Amino acid sequence: MIHAAFLIPTLPLAGFCLLALFGRRLGNPLAGYVATGAIAGSFVVTVLVFAALFTHAPASRIVVEPWFTWFSVDRLSVSVGLQIDPLSMTMAAFVTGVSALIHLYSIGYMAHDRQFTKFFLYLNLFVFSMLMLVLSDNFLVLFFGWEGVGVCSYFLIAFWFERPTAASAGKKAMIYNRIGDAGFLVALFLIYERTGSLQFTQVFARLGHLSGSNLAAIALLLFVGAVGKSAQLPLFPWLADAMEGPTPVSALIHAATMVTAGVYLMCRINPVLHLSPDAAHTIAWIGVATAFIGATAGCAQTDIKKVLAYSTISQLGYMFLAAGCGAYTAAIFLMLAPAFYKALLFLGAGSVIHAMDDEQDIKKMGALAALMPLTAFSFLIGWFSIAGVPPLSGFWAKGAVLENAWAVSPALWAAGALTAVITAYYMGREYLLVFTGEARWTARHDPASHSGGQPTDPRRVMTFPLVVLSVCSVFGGLIDIPWHPHLDFLARWLAPVVGANELVHHETSGAVVGFAVVEGALAVTGVALALVLWRGVVNRPALEPRFLLLAWCIDTAYDRFIARPSEAMAAFTASVLEVRVIDGAVNAVAGLARATGSRARRLQTGYVRSYALGLVAGTVVLIAYLLVRVKG
Amino acid sequence: MTGQGFPYLTYLTLTPAGAALVAVALPRSRPGLARAVGALGTFATLGIAATVLALFKSGTSGYQLVAQHQWVAPLGVSFSLGVDGISLFLVLMTAVLFPLALLGAPEREGTKAFVAWLLALESACLGSFLATDVLVFFLFFEATLVPAYFLIAGWGGGRRAYSATKFFIYTFAASAFMLVGIVALVAVHESQTGQTTFNIGALSHTHLSGTAGMLLFLSFTIAFVVKAPVFPFHTWSPGAYSDAPASGSIVLAGVMAKLGTYGIVRFDLELFPHAVVVLAPLLLTLGVCGIIYGGVVAAVQHDLKRLVAFSSLAHMGFIVLGAFALTGEAVSGAVLQMVNHGLYTAALFLLVAMISRRLGTFEIPRLSGLQHRAPVMAGVFTLVMLASIGVPGLNGFIGEFLILAGTFLTHRWWAVVATLGVILAAVYLLWGYQQVFHGPESAAPSPERFPEMTTKERLVMAPLVLAIVFLGIYPKPVLERISPSVDALLTHVEQVAHPVVPISGRPISTAPGKRIEAVLTSHPGVR
Amino acid sequence: MPGLLVGTIAVPHIDYTAILPELILLGGMLILLVVSALVARPIPTEWYAAATVGFAGASLAASLIVWHDVSERGPFLAIAKSIDVDGFAAFALVTLSAVLVVAAMLGAGFLRREGTQGPEYYVLAMIAVSGAMFMAAANDLILVFLGLEILSIPLYVMAGSEVRREGSREAAMKYFVLGAFSSAIFVYGIALTYGATGSTNLGSIAAFLARNVLTNNGVLLAGLGLLVVGFGFKIAAVPFHMWTPDVYEGAPTPAVGFMAAVAKIGGFTALLRVLISSFPTQSGSWQPVIWVIAVASLSLGALAALVQGNIKRMLAYSSINHAGFVLLGVQAGTAKGVSASLYYLFAYSFLALGSFAVVQVVGGKDDVHHGVEHYRGLYRRNPVLAVVFAVLLLGQAGVPFTTGFFAKLYVLQAAASAHSYALAAIAMASAAIAAFFYLRVVLVMFAERATDDVRVPEAIDEVAVTASGGSLALLAPETVEVTERLVVGPWVTTGIGLAFLTSVVFGVWPQPLVAFAHAASLIF
Repeated sequence: MIHAAFLIPTLPLAGFCLLALFGRRLGNPLAGYVATGAIAGSFVVTVLVFAALFTHAPASRIVVEPWFTWFSVDRLSVSVGLQIDPLSMTMAAFVTGVSALIHLYSIGYMAHDRQFTKFFLYLNLFVFSMLMLVLSDNFLVLFFGWEGVGVCSYFLIAFWFERPTAASAGKKAMIYNRIGDAGFLVALFLIYERTGSLQFTQVFARLGHLSGSNLAAIALLLFVGAVGKSAQLPLFPWLADAMEGPTPVSALIHAATMVTAGVYLMCRINPVLHLSPDAAHTIAWIGVATAFIGATAGCAQTDIKKVLAYSTISQLGYMFLAAGCGAYTAAIFLMLAPAFYKALLFLGAGSVIHAMDDEQDIKKMGALAALMPLTAFSFLIGWFSIAGVPPLSGFWAKGAVLENAWAVSPALWAAGALTAVITAYYMGREYLLVFTGEARWTARHDPASHSGGQPTDPRRVMTFPLVVLSVCSVFGGLIDIPWHPHLDFLARWLAPVVGANELVHHETSGAVVGFAVVEGALAVTGVALALVLWRGVVNRPALEPRFLLLAWCIDTAYDRFIARPSEAMAAFTASVLEVRVIDGAVNAVAGLARATGSRARRLQTGYVRSYALGLVAGTVVLIAYLLVRVKG
Repeated sequence: MTGQGFPYLTYLTLTPAGAALVAVALPRSRPGLARAVGALGTFATLGIAATVLALFKSGTSGYQLVAQHQWVAPLGVSFSLGVDGISLFLVLMTAVLFPLALLGAPEREGTKAFVAWLLALESACLGSFLATDVLVFFLFFEATLVPAYFLIAGWGGGRRAYSATKFFIYTFAASAFMLVGIVALVAVHESQTGQTTFNIGALSHTHLSGTAGMLLFLSFTIAFVVKAPVFPFHTWSPGAYSDAPASGSIVLAGVMAKLGTYGIVRFDLELFPHAVVVLAPLLLTLGVCGIIYGGVVAAVQHDLKRLVAFSSLAHMGFIVLGAFALTGEAVSGAVLQMVNHGLYTAALFLLVAMISRRLGTFEIPRLSGLQHRAPVMAGVFTLVMLASIGVPGLNGFIGEFLILAGTFLTHRWWAVVATLGVILAAVYLLWGYQQVFHGPESAAPSPERFPEMTTKERLVMAPLVLAIVFLGIYPKPVLERISPSVDALLTHVEQVAHPVVPISGRPISTAPGKRIEAVLTSHPGVR
Repeated sequence: MPGLLVGTIAVPHIDYTAILPELILLGGMLILLVVSALVARPIPTEWYAAATVGFAGASLAASLIVWHDVSERGPFLAIAKSIDVDGFAAFALVTLSAVLVVAAMLGAGFLRREGTQGPEYYVLAMIAVSGAMFMAAANDLILVFLGLEILSIPLYVMAGSEVRREGSREAAMKYFVLGAFSSAIFVYGIALTYGATGSTNLGSIAAFLARNVLTNNGVLLAGLGLLVVGFGFKIAAVPFHMWTPDVYEGAPTPAVGFMAAVAKIGGFTALLRVLISSFPTQSGSWQPVIWVIAVASLSLGALAALVQGNIKRMLAYSSINHAGFVLLGVQAGTAKGVSASLYYLFAYSFLALGSFAVVQVVGGKDDVHHGVEHYRGLYRRNPVLAVVFAVLLLGQAGVPFTTGFFAKLYVLQAAASAHSYALAAIAMASAAIAAFFYLRVVLVMFAERATDDVRVPEAIDEVAVTASGGSLALLAPETVEVTERLVVGPWVTTGIGLAFLTSVVFGVWPQPLVAFAHAASLIF
């Protein structure tokens, strides 16, 4: 059954090819269903392979399925192969699962877009790349997927390319990612130089021979890549702009899957992190810092999707916190849970935007709970999950992270805890502004608008995913409950891959409960704060400072201190250095030749006497020279 | 004719020239006829090239299908041709690009002469890649100038006369020194062995003193770096590329640029190993400068062709980097990258030509929203652009990765800086793409002014696109043929250079296994 | 008493076959003169041309016979050791005869167009060629001098043959005065050499210098120096070149082409023979001299040509540059150097003849249109002519697959194997500069509109602008459309054709010619 694994990425690829060739003929909505079918099929296969892997003994749960040799020069031989292990299968399962749902949702959401088929074309390509990323058995094919998802996100962010903002956002995302990729590449070179291979198992087998500095360098350089991909400090600004893309894209790529690739990478290289704790702690701190900044930024946003974007950044920060602390299970756990509730929130937001005819400003919404109960309810679930209200999935996931953070350093825990409160608060703010209070919008009675004027819950094809995701968000926590050694399924499942390097710490069951209580309290505090401050209130300038709205002005700073100066520098290079100096030198040579030539012309007076004189002069010099050489 | 077997390579080299003569003989009044002859000639050449590929034995390093003809005995020149892993795919690329240039960017005016020059140029390029006699190489290397010059001056735009002359003089001056170097090298060899020959193999065993070696190396290299061009000897290229007719740009950037880099790999490494090892840091630095500089300048160009011109300056930088890194990965990568660059640059120039044929401009500010009108063209452009950026799965990546990974082994910091060039490529190309293809529909030209790609245009682009994708997904067969020759070359370099100059503790050659051993011996117990 | 005198005048045995080519030409010359004197009504110039071609062909045949003899029974001295019959001489004889064939044809076209009667042009040409032949074969300084004069005087006259044109007269005047001056210097050189060595026979001089070591070689070196000056003038080497631009500009175009070829061949062959067969022992002294002269000629020729607006002046400077290249071979002083020089002379002769032939055609009636601007749009007016000219110019620049390339390669090899790397490098640098002004003309020819610029040398500086990277549109300012048709008669067509084919065929298949030159130097 394991051998069927190659179907997992190929089905989406097939879908992509199918749409590329016959997309126009399939048209809307058939193309959408084809694409969704491809992903669903891939999901089914994943589940089967998953099950098959489950039957293996835990020790033998790492299976490498070689495919074909990509290229091979001297010792650098890279083969395209799949590594089937608990980690990759977990990733594959939730990637395909969530993707399938979001594909389905998109059929409804994009129904009226004239690039309908192209949208699914890109989506399928994206899923293919993402699966190559998580299933690869070596760093280079992982990088292939890594770049693939980056490119797809570029396509999808700039999907509505007639909007200059969208086009720029896409470009921005790509460039920020390339910055990270530069780090990633250098890491690959170092790995290859030091171990002579790029294949996970071989590389990890040889880690023992690497010096500490090398290990740290590899870890941090790969982390640079992760920072770009997963929008961590200091490369996060692109993610906020990425909201220019269609909402399903934001849900799938910029909340659930692609942005978590960085976290996956960190978990994948857990042997490296384990051997270089300093690097790991750096990662943890950057993670928690990002979580905090993201959360605070979320407090001041007025765009329904921007809030979610910053909350994504913040959640990702948590994941890196976990990975940095060596709590890989927790990291994965916290990756799965948001995959559900973040997707849920985004799709909810999508439905709202859809219903409000593409209005995204939460200040212009309100009182939608009554009109769109289902959406509102699912959004509420999303809010409580992300806030970490027990017993929803977010509670368990975040709990796991914070516990481990405490084990590494209470300071990390404190930062994380504070962020947890803020999280619960800003998400509450958004919920309250959108769904409660009085309506700050006017129903437009134009038949053209699909909602027929009044905002309503969307069609079933869009609500179905909402329901499924809500259910997952509620019960998702059950996959890993730390309280009882028999309930931590995920930990035991992932053990073959990460177990060896997991942070080991044993709290007394009392401490465990204590943590739970505290975290529950934090969540409730946050929720309460939100209710107190934002019930029926629309504007609290004090709580929405411009500084936070601009996400600590980091983007602005980049623009002022990096972008503009380098533009000026480039302009200078092109107009002065190139033209005056380099080409100038070339032309100077030519000019010199010409000048000498015209000077030589002056000798040519045209008078026989002067010519005769020249002749004589020449003769004299010649004879003089020869006479100098006279012997005796 | 002492060559063994049927002289495929001779025919390969001379077929286009023959076709050119036929074209010249045609009546001026029948341009269609000339076009037919051109197509026939280029496709016949392509056919022979394909045969050569089929006959090529992979896994061996030496010259194959060698053809030798007596030529100028008293001077020691023999018209000898041969193909090995290093030249094979450059030859193939040449044979592919010329017909595409001819069909994809034909000229209405003076078709006959145009076709003749283009065919002549193809012969010269093929001859340069196939020559195994230094002088024969030089003859063809120089001979490329004349047709290229007439193509630019005759069918170009902008300040074509100026650009053409600058191109000719600059490159001619540079290769003048190479000729001196050649005769000097031959003279030295003659004084040592008593026989006058220009044969590469023979000359590669000449014993050169350190200084002599370096001077000769420089005299060769100046010609190559100008031809490529490599920073800072590139200032002829933006003008020449942008003022040349589309076909000219394709051939200049796609094929002729490779003459320079090919010369570096074939002659510098083969003939002057000491000098190469000693001066490698200098050339590596130039390469890196080129990567960064080209990227930076390309980012502020307002003319699509100039943008591509500077981008290929950056790409040439990568190739030079690989060539002088002297590791199997890097040099094989460099050779592969020559082919890759040829493919996607040609594709870019073809696309630019399609745009300008519709709108009569290359100026980025005057273009916008083309994706509304021609989604397919936009798609193709995107693909080619991504290949040129170096996205995995497309051909640009493998070459760049091999070059950088290989360079990292011997010259770590150069590789690291060069890697930043990866970012720049994305910056300028995505910017250009956004300006030209994105943007509001209102800003786009009217549909009748800007129709979608025609069937013919698609047929022209198809082979390039396929090659780009294929080489990105399955470069194995290509590299299998390249790397044996490269390894042999590097072994030669090491044998000659090693006793003299120990290279930074790390071994330069990759007689398989060597390096990894060297790396791992410091960490016992790995196997 | 008379009886005593009898027998003291030893009349040497004269082996006429040794100087057959010369004799044929001189005989032909006499026949032409006599015929033209006897026949009352004017004979069409073509007939003379035909006759000349015939005689030239005969002398070519004779030269080949000489070559055959030489390769059969080796070199030999004839006529009291004053004539040296060897491969070297044979090559020169062949080249000169071939040059005369082409020159006669070009002359025919020119004279017909200008409506000039009479056999003078052909007669003078034949005399000059025979003079050059004597120089090439001479084994005695006296004979060298004779040859020099036999060569020079007709050239002075040819330069002035367009009496109606003031420029022509001026050119003749300058050429004659300076030529006489240099001849005087040359004779003095002979005298000093004789004084130092007691002989004017090249062989004996060499033998003497080989046997004895002079306690004071001042006189010898002075003589040697003066000889070099004399030759330097003939071959238009810097600093003895100053007559060249003016004479080339003023003299009638076919005469210029002829002069460029024949004078260089005569001067260089004699120079080579004198330096290498008589003064090998002194090479330490003359090689540096030649080195300096070569560098000066190379660089000044190339640089000054850059800024010429008159094509004939430009070609004059380029001929100086070429002289520099031949001097590479001389300076090497080796057998290889000799063959290289010979090959270069052959290549240059036909490139020059062809180029000047085109100039002659474009010059139009009265031989006046010689500004670069007159070449604008030549491609439109007469594509074939333009292409041929382009090839000839690029050949002079040394572009592959022309004799020009192999000529440069050959001399470079000679220089390299004599370890004069610096000289070789300088030479190629000058070639790169030279390429520019050849290209300039090519570019103008293929430019859009055919125009005729009436403005005088102000254009030159505009032309020069290009070198500094200005727009090449300034190359030749556009003005009035040219209306005049270009007259290319059958004779000129054939002449140009021959020159063109020689330059291209031997460029693609150099083997036979190179082999000839190679052998020519070995049998020495």
